[in-house]
Amino acid sequence: MKFLYSNETISDKELKIAIPSMIIGVGVLSLPSGIASVTVGSDGWIALLIAGILQMGVIWLMAKVASSFPKQSFLSYSAKLVSKPVAVVITFTFAVYFICVTAYDIRMLGHISEQYLFKKTPVEVVMLAFLLVVVYAVSGSRVGIFRLNILFLPIILIVAIVVFLLSSKIMDVSNLRPAFQTDIKGHMHGLYTSALSYIGISIILFYTSFVENPKNIPKVSIIGVTVPVVLYIVVYLNCILVFGQVGTSNMLFPTVDLAKRVDLPGGMLERIEALFFTVWTMGVFTTAMMVFDVAILALQSIFKKIKKIHIILFLSPLVYFIGTIPKNTTQIIQFGNYIATSMYIYGYLIAIVLFIIAKVRKGKSNGKKAI
Amino acid sequence: MRRRYTKKANWPSKNIKEQTSNESLNSQLDANIQKLKQLLDGPNDLVIREFLLNNNPTMKGSVVYMDGLIDKQLVQESILRNMKDFASNKKSYDTSKTILEVMYENFISIHSVEKGNTLEDALDGILVGKTVILIDGQTSALIINTKGGESRSIDEPTTEMVVRGPRVGFVESLGTNLALLRKSLQTSSLRFQTHQIGRRSKKSLVVAYVDGVVHPEIVKEVNRRIQSIDIDDAPESGFIEQWIEDSFLSPFPQMDNTERSDKASSELLQGKVVILLDGTPFVLIAPFTLGDFLKSPEDYNERWLIGTLLRILRYVAAFFALLLPSLYIALISLHPGLLPTDMALSIAATREEVPFPPVAEAFLMVLTMELLQEAGLRLPAPIGQTIGIVGGLVIGDAAVSAGIVSPIMVIVIGLTAISAFATPSFSLGISFRILRIAFMLAAGILGLFGIILVYIMVMIHMVNLKSFGVPYTAPFSPTMDRDWKDLILRAPMTILTRRPNFMNTKDVDSGSREKE
Repeated sequence: MKFLYSNETISDKELKIAIPSMIIGVGVLSLPSGIASVTVGSDGWIALLIAGILQMGVIWLMAKVASSFPKQSFLSYSAKLVSKPVAVVITFTFAVYFICVTAYDIRMLGHISEQYLFKKTPVEVVMLAFLLVVVYAVSGSRVGIFRLNILFLPIILIVAIVVFLLSSKIMDVSNLRPAFQTDIKGHMHGLYTSALSYIGISIILFYTSFVENPKNIPKVSIIGVTVPVVLYIVVYLNCILVFGQVGTSNMLFPTVDLAKRVDLPGGMLERIEALFFTVWTMGVFTTAMMVFDVAILALQSIFKKIKKIHIILFLSPLVYFIGTIPKNTTQIIQFGNYIATSMYIYGYLIAIVLFIIAKVRKGKSNGKKAI
Repeated sequence: MRRRYTKKANWPSKNIKEQTSNESLNSQLDANIQKLKQLLDGPNDLVIREFLLNNNPTMKGSVVYMDGLIDKQLVQESILRNMKDFASNKKSYDTSKTILEVMYENFISIHSVEKGNTLEDALDGILVGKTVILIDGQTSALIINTKGGESRSIDEPTTEMVVRGPRVGFVESLGTNLALLRKSLQTSSLRFQTHQIGRRSKKSLVVAYVDGVVHPEIVKEVNRRIQSIDIDDAPESGFIEQWIEDSFLSPFPQMDNTERSDKASSELLQGKVVILLDGTPFVLIAPFTLGDFLKSPEDYNERWLIGTLLRILRYVAAFFALLLPSLYIALISLHPGLLPTDMALSIAATREEVPFPPVAEAFLMVLTMELLQEAGLRLPAPIGQTIGIVGGLVIGDAAVSAGIVSPIMVIVIGLTAISAFATPSFSLGISFRILRIAFMLAAGILGLFGIILVYIMVMIHMVNLKSFGVPYTAPFSPTMDRDWKDLILRAPMTILTRRPNFMNTKDVDSGSREKE
């Protein structure tokens, strides 16, 4: 009889929770304003829904590729598809991309906390404290990271639901109008903007080597993506219902401002935006932790001889440094847009190319067998 | 942390070890007695009773024991009297047998008798309360178990009071404790594995488990770690705990200790291992996870609804004990906007006279509380209560009137203290005390954000922590929702028909509802 915890793999359930934990982060805090500023009335949900379905498609492609090479690292299976040197370049680029995402997350968190939590504390202190916690998390076991997601995600979702329910008192249904007035260009723009909130789903390409049942990965990842898609639409509509389209588009972080308008029943606490943002820190943390971990994983697969802790110690100052580059709000948003664009061009392209090559190869080998 | 188990063997032992004697027994009785006396330095409590065999002056024998460690009546009735009979008996016995065998078969009426061949066997026996019979011309000795001496009677444990439940607690004697365990768990598959612990003072340690329930890997791991123990003496099971725990850097206890035999036996049936040490009423239970620490044996003795509510109350208490002072600091000093305006104003009014910032105020009060707790613990019960009254009422009230702390702070600290005492495990309570300080420091620096960062760090630590291979956060995460029936909730008894999934027990079901 084997001991339950002797081999540390990721179960379906853990992967199912890891994907929404990965996606839900800082993006949703500013998402409603980005969507509202390019669409008319409450039309943003269409773009969000289509973006969500697109993400499901992309993650399905990635999962399909990854699951056809069970228990293999990204580097080793991509080397089989597109020769070793190309695979090393792709892996390295992904690592750089993930490091940038980590830096962006940490910077964004520092920036929002400056807006809502502290007026005096320098943003660098907040960023550093947060980065150290992330470093502590990634230097533990990889299974531990997945267990953390399980502990944190329910809390985040519960807080989101509570804010939604409490704000129902101040909702105004007339804010939903006008409906279906946005032109195609606006929808396309909305589609692009919402992508920022899905950065990092490429982690699925890397984590599959630890998954217990690789066969279930495509199904499980689609279920995982559904959670943030629903959450995003609910949060967006919630903001529109409370602030209206114009109000929402004028705010930087309407989701946090939503919490500002809400009082706990019985007058226990008022203006809970500080509390909301504090809890949301957990969501940002799970994102940053997993992206950072995947960056380490990618580098580990390239530089096999270097110890994990050395990679972490080398990357941490780098992440901090990249995070401090943007000087103001505009630059931070710009930074985010670069990341989103590069994900569109690079991450998705790689996924599609790998999928096609895998299909063709498979077809070829099947054909040979048939002969 | 685990390195301890492997690296130890490489250390050269430089110090002079205790004088021991591996030599076998001499055929000369006098030489043996002399050697024994010399090794023990002829103490007063060593009793050597000589006798003649068959009234033959050349056939001498000795009964040796340590006064005070033996059961006097037993030695008197079953050894010394029989020896007298034997000495005066002129019957002839089977000559093919040695005189010791004859004695063993015909005259010793005690159940547990063994044969020893070396001086050390005899010496060790004498030191734990056994009686040794040495015969002139024989190179072996009879070692008879006559352990006795003064011991405490079975009482209700004072550290773990229950309203409803058996009033039986372990005592200092290992034999009695094993019997108590057998009494409360009447199954043939209850197993006891005995180890000897200690370089100089040899203590017996028993690993108890229910075969067929516990996962064999856990028993193997427990035994392996116990075999790695190398200390002079283990006066209390806490020494064992600290030797074999997974991480000595963790603030969390990774094993539970209890004085209650009913708790020990019910944990055995949950697939856990109980470690009993001679000389202490506290037994260890391993592996133990966070969820287990917030359970109390009493939860099962009351009806399920009450059990469930008590569990929820306990989780709330744990939250308060950990976070209340830090939340006070964060809300008052950094986020007053969160409080309702009226409340914020009234708090500000009461704090107007207080010269310190909330952090200093909170630390002052927490320190006072810790001092009161420590002082009350060490004093005899009647004075302890006085300390409680003096400390709690007088100092609290006076501090407020003197304007050193605000009344809200006193409420917060009072609530924290009460919540801390509501945690069923004392060891977990101590880790909460440590973490509370960490939360307060973080709240003083970064407010709510600091609290959440420390919370995340505690969680990171916990998901990486294991207790004998079992994740500390199981069954929360890794999620085993089947075990949630008996975690925060305590489902009705008829539903709790499975042993905990996270313990990976061999026998999964502990009952069934289908029985006619």
